[in-house]
Amino acid sequence: MSIDERELSDLMRRAAELMSDTADVPRLLGNHLGQQHHLAQAAEEMQGSIENLVRQLRSFDAPAHNVKDDLQGGS
Amino acid sequence: MYIPEADFDHLIRILSEARSRATELAASIGAGLGTEHPLSELASAASWRIENMMRELQISAVEDPQHAGGLAELHGALRHETQSVTPATANSPEHITTGMHAMAAFATQAGLEPEHWLPMFVDDLIAQLRTSGGITFEMAERLLQQRKDEFLKDFLIARRMYRTYPRLFRELQGEAGPRQSETMPR
Repeated sequence: MSIDERELSDLMRRAAELMSDTADVPRLLGNHLGQQHHLAQAAEEMQGSIENLVRQLRSFDAPAHNVKDDLQGGS
Repeated sequence: MYIPEADFDHLIRILSEARSRATELAASIGAGLGTEHPLSELASAASWRIENMMRELQISAVEDPQHAGGLAELHGALRHETQSVTPATANSPEHITTGMHAMAAFATQAGLEPEHWLPMFVDDLIAQLRTSGGITFEMAERLLQQRKDEFLKDFLIARRMYRTYPRLFRELQGEAGPRQSETMPR
């Protein structure tokens, strides 16, 4: 991994903020246009894409901690 | 399609800011892990979806009669401003200096108003170059994104003004009208 924990944590924070700040988009479009409208569905897909990024960033963090823990445990 | 204007503006603003932040996030992940890394691709995909969402929303609003009427003209202006710039002349670059003078010189050479986004973008690039002593494609993309966001904000303000004070626009058109009619045969 060529980014350290602090950088990864910063990326996760920014991605989580992005997810939270865009949460209004599918909600508003769904309320006004109905969940079946193509714009509401596009908004759901957009939000899903951001959520996926956040999830993958979080899971990317786990192996780094494991490696660190293994090294500390083995010493 | 009907979305109240306040909500529409709110959505555009959210998406515009989100697009900038997603682009920056993708650039940061790419810088740390490489652009081929799956996380970079996910971030780019998210950024693309945000961009696409905003474009679809704008297109739907213009196509819808409830949001059209004035908006269509402004949107047309937006598309024209953001897409169809063809410099009138591109000679004498050695005369272009830096700062405001460079921007004004560039605008004049290109046959554009100094307030047009392109001279401002060129000015941003020159300022960045002077500050950091170099410029990357990523930085240029970021500056262009900022310029697009600025333009979008101006567009939203212009649209609100047009709807709130239509008389003012007619008066402005009226001011330009007599000058044009002077050249018209009776």
